[in-house]
Amino acid sequence: MNRYDVIVIGGGPAGLAAAISADRRGAEVLLIEREARLGGILKQCIHDGFGLVRFGEKLSGPEYVERFIKEFRERRIQSSLLTFVTDMKKTDHGFVLRAVNRSGVHEYEAKALVLATGCRERTAKQVQIHGTRPAGVLTAGTAQHFVNLQGKMPARKCVILGSGDIGLIMARRLTLEGAEVLGVYEVKPTPSGLTRNIVQCLDDYKIPLYLSHTVTRVFGEQRLTAVEVAEVDEQMQPIKSTRKRIACDTLILSVGLIPENEMAEKLGVRLDTKTKGPVCNHRFMTEVEGVFSCGNALHVNDLVDYVSESGELSGTAAAEYAEKMGSTKRREVSLNTDASLQYLVPQKLALSEGLDKVIFYFRSREVLKQGTLVFLVDGKEVFHRKYRNLKPPEMERLELNCTSFGLSDASRIDVQIKKEGDI
Amino acid sequence: MNVRSLQKRLNERFGPTVSVQVKDGCIVVSGHLDSWDKIVAACTMCVDKKSGMHVVNDIRLDGVRIPKMRTPDFQDHALENAAPDVLIIGGGISGASIARELSKWKLDILLVDKESDLAVQASGRNDGEVHPGVDLNKGSLKQHYVLLGNRMFDQVCKELSVPFERCGQYVGFTGKWMYPIIWAYVWQRRYVCKVTDTRILKRKELFRREPNLNPKFHFAMFNPSAGCVCPYGLTIAYGENAVENGAKVSLNTAVLGMEVKNGRICSVKTNRGTLYPKIVVNAAGVFAEDVARMAGDRFYSIHPRRGTNSILDKKSGSLVKGIASIKTLQKNKKHTKGGGILHTVHDNLLVGPNAVETYEKENFATQKGSIDAVFAKQKLTAEALSEKDIITYFTGVRPATFEEDFIIEKGRKTRNLIHCAGIQSPGLTTAPAVALDIEKMVISELKKEKKPERNPNFCPVRKAPPVLNQLSYEERNKLIQENPDYGEIVCRCEEISKGEILDALNAPICVPTIDGIKKRVRPGMGRCQGGFCMPLVTKIISEFLQVPEERVRKAGEGSGILFGDTKCTDEEVAE
Amino acid sequence: MKELTCIVCPNGCSLRVEKKDGQWEVSGNQCKRGITFAIEEMTHPMRTISSTVRTSFPEVPVIPVRVSAEIPKERIFDVMKQINQVRVEKICGTGDVVIENVLGLQVDVIVTSDILREWEKEQK
Repeated sequence: MNRYDVIVIGGGPAGLAAAISADRRGAEVLLIEREARLGGILKQCIHDGFGLVRFGEKLSGPEYVERFIKEFRERRIQSSLLTFVTDMKKTDHGFVLRAVNRSGVHEYEAKALVLATGCRERTAKQVQIHGTRPAGVLTAGTAQHFVNLQGKMPARKCVILGSGDIGLIMARRLTLEGAEVLGVYEVKPTPSGLTRNIVQCLDDYKIPLYLSHTVTRVFGEQRLTAVEVAEVDEQMQPIKSTRKRIACDTLILSVGLIPENEMAEKLGVRLDTKTKGPVCNHRFMTEVEGVFSCGNALHVNDLVDYVSESGELSGTAAAEYAEKMGSTKRREVSLNTDASLQYLVPQKLALSEGLDKVIFYFRSREVLKQGTLVFLVDGKEVFHRKYRNLKPPEMERLELNCTSFGLSDASRIDVQIKKEGDI
Repeated sequence: MNVRSLQKRLNERFGPTVSVQVKDGCIVVSGHLDSWDKIVAACTMCVDKKSGMHVVNDIRLDGVRIPKMRTPDFQDHALENAAPDVLIIGGGISGASIARELSKWKLDILLVDKESDLAVQASGRNDGEVHPGVDLNKGSLKQHYVLLGNRMFDQVCKELSVPFERCGQYVGFTGKWMYPIIWAYVWQRRYVCKVTDTRILKRKELFRREPNLNPKFHFAMFNPSAGCVCPYGLTIAYGENAVENGAKVSLNTAVLGMEVKNGRICSVKTNRGTLYPKIVVNAAGVFAEDVARMAGDRFYSIHPRRGTNSILDKKSGSLVKGIASIKTLQKNKKHTKGGGILHTVHDNLLVGPNAVETYEKENFATQKGSIDAVFAKQKLTAEALSEKDIITYFTGVRPATFEEDFIIEKGRKTRNLIHCAGIQSPGLTTAPAVALDIEKMVISELKKEKKPERNPNFCPVRKAPPVLNQLSYEERNKLIQENPDYGEIVCRCEEISKGEILDALNAPICVPTIDGIKKRVRPGMGRCQGGFCMPLVTKIISEFLQVPEERVRKAGEGSGILFGDTKCTDEEVAE
Repeated sequence: MKELTCIVCPNGCSLRVEKKDGQWEVSGNQCKRGITFAIEEMTHPMRTISSTVRTSFPEVPVIPVRVSAEIPKERIFDVMKQINQVRVEKICGTGDVVIENVLGLQVDVIVTSDILREWEKEQK
């Protein structure tokens, strides 16, 4: 059996950063990646704009992630590529993993696990698209794979459903490669993607964005021949009288991402219904002792810079945990949020760990011109910060010293966003 | 039967535009009506089972052109002048099982299907229940064959290496007062209909077995012999075993016409040449009536009935372990007839189906309304059922006759024709037993000319490729050592390796399409619905066929995935 | 007057820009970069583009590229035409130039991934 301090599952930006930081902290690390190459989804994200926060440069996805791969290699961290974890079990000493690759079935033992398994795309069926089942209905990520990695065109004349960032980016990519993008349809009254992507990917290429619209049906027996679109009412239900048929050969979906946590669930990790990722403390440890989560498996980020950050922090925490395993008792307080926040990560503070530099990620539920994020301990305000332009698609990051909050095991912490005028 | 009184009743209900007469041993209903539901109702009204005659529907639907059968839009001569002993039309569960049973004999057997794979229509679009037959009345062919067929499943599935589980069927009742009625019903089922496993489960026992069913259930009718199987998996397995034993399968092959002389089919025209079969088996599903017409032997009609099922994520699989449904005696118009929740052999839940009459035999489009209706009802079976767990849904069209029974007999006018028609539910359960009878009919017909010999090389056991994630650690490791492709996972949701995909491509019936591979080894069946693996499967198929990826199709002709390269070719650059 | 959304940073300020007495007046910006952006947008909008180029290696049929600096917005499709005709015959990596001074715009088209180098290493 191969024994490690920390096993990182997933070789994308989160997993790479976790492995590097755990190694830096002195842990014996193994990274397991199911694809043949490191880099995760960034391998196919060839557009630029990555790394503005971290490197102060606008890099392409491969450029960004290759910087991490370079360091990973320089540190001679062990990795097992094209290897798929089939089974994970918690034991008295940590975890036993089983994985398959081209050389056989292997078992590994680890004191701590970092789950950096990323996310997957919501499918056509999950947004209730009905009609026939022709070729030509695919997710934006699948289209991106074909165009950017295989150099193949999945579309000539297409409609995009959903204004998620990948959808917007693919609208531009497909246009540049010679396809016609007839429009982007978004069921919500506001766009799901970043403003700069709306401007640079749609406006620049005169691709129309139809808000409060959706695709209700697909047509075509073999290849897609048309889609039916309709305006939706306030309950997001299609308005029959507005139905319209649009001839096209491809429907591309960018209707949301779901953190992949099937592995975590098998280990008994509890998920947050808001993030769809594990409930974790500020050291990124889930409710299962020794299991850490980071990147898009934890919550869907819009900037890779924060994916790397959570990877780094969880890797360090996992290495420290492996070192002093079981010597400290878990003492945690939950952070309670109300409807003003779409979500807040972490969901808990670990009182036994340092609280001087806690990093929070949150999204507002509504678009707010001005809002104030407030922390209350036992009903008393301990911190507030004003924000301008809070938007659900744009995640906020906040670094906070929580030592002065006067927390004890019995404390109740509430986090809310107050609208202008509420205060 | 009293045609005159029937005619009167028809006119009273449907007006003067419909008429009925007995012609050529059939009850022919003709005229025109303005809705398909009325046509179905009018024809149903004319059913007279005692007469041995079937209803033939000649009523026109006002203002509607009934869509023609979709056929492959290419022609070749691959089958020109072939003269098989037996031509089987239709590659569903009926055709495939018949081909396999006939392959016990030294015969030239050819199965044709117009689709690009087996089990594309009804056989690939149902819930896969192996019925106990508890809901069928004595005297029907359905009931006769369901009892025989159900018992055969353990052996058939073992021989063909198809997963099968007798997970049991529960029909829950909420009204305590219904107990005596159901008790009597169960008695009748056991002792009169011979569905001997039928019994009543009291509340406590029911919830010990299925804790998540509607807590208002007081008791349930239980049939432990009920089970589930993958319906297209079984069809393909039957087809492959037939091919292993010498039968031929020609896909993308549509029967377009027949030449009939003196009560015999002389030749059969297809898009791939004209054939000269000795005997024809009509297992054409919703198109059985059309084949019968071509053969000059149309004595029944098919009224297609659409049904939609949803497939739920494996995560919700523990909600129901067997097959569960609710029976209420009050009629609720909002609720669709029948349907239930079924735990599949792949641990998903299947919810549905509903039942909607339709004149479109090949309209497999799904509609939101169908799913909503099914869920509204099935939440009464298990409250925790959630639309959020749906990963996909599909619609199938059942080929029902107006008598709502099977037609398994030799042609009434055409002698070298055998009908296996009207095979709707429980047609999957009955198939093994029906196939044996059709085999007998074919052999007795062929005997008239020359007694066929047994196939000395017949082997009932299909050589099935391994399913890696079902194997033990040691077995799996050993297979990967022998073939490293078994260690390369392509589909993450269902844990399918490249080696298994290549096995499917090298199988006796190779269907090198995305859907063909999906049906055989399941990449794309999971929660990501192929988002991650579809490009990889496309690449594996293109390498296997040695064609560029844009030649790889999802299913039939014209369903290409890609449009070629993003970049200029050398020729374009040269220009 | 024209309304623009600033794309310099994630704030995405809504800018109003107007020409008054030959001078551009910008409002709605939260920082100075917004002013520069707005004036540039009105006079000579610049963009970067990313794409791929073909290779001679069937295992890696395309590799990613981008322009080394911004190009005039109206020349995007002209540059794409040039990119579409390139075929990489030799192993190359991040930063390598595949088109020098494309269309005389003083900008190169450069490779943005080491995938070919990685692939070559794997072959050895």
